[in-house]
Formats: sequence, structure tokens, C-alpha cells
Amino acid sequence: MIVPFDIIILIFLVITALISLRVRDLLGATMILGVYSFLICLLWAEMGAVDVAFTEAAVGAGVSTVFMIATIYHTRRHSSD
Amino acid sequence: MKWFGLIATVFTGILLLSAVPDFAAFGDPDSPANGGLGDHPSVSQYYITDTYTDTKVPNIVTAVLADYRGYDTMFETVVIFAAGIAIFAILRSFSGPVAPSHPTAIDTSVEGDHQRIIIGTTCRVIIPVIQLFALYVVAHGHHSPGGGFQGGVILGASFILVALAKDLSAALGRFSEKRYLALGSVGILIYAGFGLLCVALERNFLDYEILHRIMPATDPIMARSHSMLGVEVGVAFTVTAIMFAIYANLSSKGRLEQGF
Amino acid sequence: MILDLVAILLIAAGLVFFLGAAVGLVRFPDFYTRMHAAGKGDTLSSLLVVLGFALHELRHFDGSADVVVFLKLLAICAFIMLTSPTSTHALMDAGYEDGIEPVLGEDGENALTETRNRRLKD
Repeated sequence: MIVPFDIIILIFLVITALISLRVRDLLGATMILGVYSFLICLLWAEMGAVDVAFTEAAVGAGVSTVFMIATIYHTRRHSSD
Repeated sequence: MKWFGLIATVFTGILLLSAVPDFAAFGDPDSPANGGLGDHPSVSQYYITDTYTDTKVPNIVTAVLADYRGYDTMFETVVIFAAGIAIFAILRSFSGPVAPSHPTAIDTSVEGDHQRIIIGTTCRVIIPVIQLFALYVVAHGHHSPGGGFQGGVILGASFILVALAKDLSAALGRFSEKRYLALGSVGILIYAGFGLLCVALERNFLDYEILHRIMPATDPIMARSHSMLGVEVGVAFTVTAIMFAIYANLSSKGRLEQGF
Repeated sequence: MILDLVAILLIAAGLVFFLGAAVGLVRFPDFYTRMHAAGKGDTLSSLLVVLGFALHELRHFDGSADVVVFLKLLAICAFIMLTSPTSTHALMDAGYEDGIEPVLGEDGENALTETRNRRLKD
């Protein structure tokens, strides 16, 4: 566990979370959520929790992004608020 | 709606933050997780020192998930199954073929095939490797990171890749609706079956040790290891089926025909 | 020792290409050129970095080298080589189908030189 590395990843996590809330284009927000998931995956791998990192990479960054894109495809692409 | 969301978020946030003072201090050696209570050894210390002698499984995470906390994992699987069933119940419509709602949808006519030959060829090369890797992750979950959830998600993602590279009907030809619903249920039945088998042999639910009586050539310790593998296979079945079911229903508005 | 040096050189070269890909992603004017920078730079740089890791695994010649890890990293190289260009192609194709126009200057002069001239003027 390398503390400066952790802090950098956590700062990026907060930034990506805020951006994904602010972006109007839902497809872009989904992509940024994928980046968020990969950052969490990186954080967990770096802390030694490889199993959880593996799950996060497969579920959070992989499949759930696909699900959200499939949903956006059938709804509206731009958020109203 | 916006204000309601804000109020709900703030309320949940206050509830969650109000639980923070109940946590042990960060790095507190006397907290239940680190130091144990009274004379009892701590939980994490027990797992680290005794897992291998208890179960002969080198990956402690898998042992905790599938054996010590097997009851939790069973209901996690049930939650995933319930999510899939809920999406099925909401989205699936049997109203027959309709005109595509999106004329701009990626068409799979001859012209479309011509353009997607690169993607199709690469997917044909890579999908068997992905599925082999998924099976490795499930079967090797005892010794390396992995297990039923991860392997199941990867296996489901390989079918989603078929649907993305060709179209949904190609993927459904390989993994039809009847099959994925059956496979999702069978996964949970395998998991619960292991538990009920232990009950039938007069032990607690999911107490795998006793299964050495019906498994040939195993002692109680190896019975736990092998039962974990069986349970993980059940989890992998359910997760594979439900991941693909969710994708198939989401991407085609439940008609399983016009999807991409 | 030499293997270590080669590994370090490969990783450093990979990082240089990563930097190039990132700069291209920010500075290029339109979707296609950006994807060009991202796709090409990303593929080559990840290949170089992973190859560097693989050689780094082989640095001990006394039999303690982990050959399995080396082979796994080579397999990752092969899959990067297969999937990364394909995904770039898929993205390009999707952009083309979606009707994204490339940025071109008035006399067919592409926008890169245009922006370069503009930046020189500023």
C-alpha cells in the first residue's frame, strides 16, 4: 500500500464522479463511470484485494457499462437536468 | 423530482454518516476485526492462519466467500437471479415482431456484413479464448484470484460480444431464452442442493465437511474444497445466464428480435 | 543485467509513445485524427510496456525465472495486438456511420496545418 498513490487515485475518483454527474450527454457520463470503475479497480489491486479488483473490472467497468449503453440506446441520449 | 432526489440523498447520507462514530478507530488493534474480543482470536487472524488447514484452499478470499460465509454468497446469487427475473418481468414482451423503432440501428444486411468483416473475424478468434479463460477463472478460483462471479461475468460477456459483433439473434441461437432461464435456475439449485445435501446427512445447511461420505476418495477437508468448486460452478451458471438475459432484454426492449 | 537494460528501454519507449498518444488526443482537431493518435499510440505503447514487463520477469538466469508469467505476458501482448486495432476500427466505423465529418480546410488543406498557422499567428 503506497499512500501517495492512493491519494492520487482517490482525487481522480472524486473528479470522475463529479464530472459524470455534471455531463449532460449520458453516453459520455457512462464512459466516465467506466473510468471511475477502472480507478476503483486500480485502487483495490494496489491495496492487494485482487479478487475484488477482478470483480470490479469485469462487472463495473465491463458489463455494467454495456448495460447502460444498451439502455441509453433505447431511451434519450441527453439528460434533461 | 430533482428536489426529491436531493432530499433522499441527503437523508441517506445523514443516516450513513451517523453510523460512522460506531466504527472502530482506523488501525485500532483491539477492534473485533483486528484483535478479537476477550480471549477469542480475531476473525481475520483466524482466516489467515487456519484457512489452509481447514479447507486446503490457498486463496483465502474464495474460502471465506464459498465456505465460511457460504450463506451470504448463496443469497448474493439469489439477488442476481432476482435482478434478472425482475428485468425479464418488466421488459419482456411477447407481442411479436414490430417495425424497428430505430431505423439507424446497425443493420445486419449484406452491406452491413461487408463492413463488419474485421470485427466479426476478430471476435471469432477471440471469443473461444475468452470462454476458455472464463472457465479457467471458475475452476481455478481456489488457487488464484477469481471464482464463480468473475468467471460467470466473463462467460456472459463473451455471449454479449457475439451479440455485439453479429446481432442478437446470432447470440440467441447459441444461448436461447429457454436455455438461459433454465441455466440461471439450475445454478441456484446447485448451490442450494449442496446445502440441502448437508442437511440430509444430518449437518447444518452448507456445512460441507460431511459430504466426504458421498464423495468418493475424499476426507472431510478435501470435501470442503471440492464442495466449494461445485458451489462456484453453480454461481457461475447463474451469473452467466443472468448477465446475458439482462443484456438481451435491455438491448431489444424485451422483444429479443431487433436488438443490436 | 543486459536484459534489465532492454526491459527498461522498452518500458521507457512505451511511455514515450503513451505521451505521444495523449498529446495527439488533446491536440488533434477532429474525431478521426484523434482516434488515429489514440489507437496507434495506445497499441504500440501497451505492447512495448508489456514486453518490457515480460523481459523483466526473465531477468534471472539461475532457473528461478518465472517462465509461466513470461508466457502469460506474451499472451497478453498477442491479445492487445488483436483487440486494440479492432476496437479502434470499430469506433472509427461507428463514427463514420454516425456521420461525423472530418475537419478539412477550404482548399482541401487539412485543419492541422490551419490550426498550426493560426497558432503561429497568435
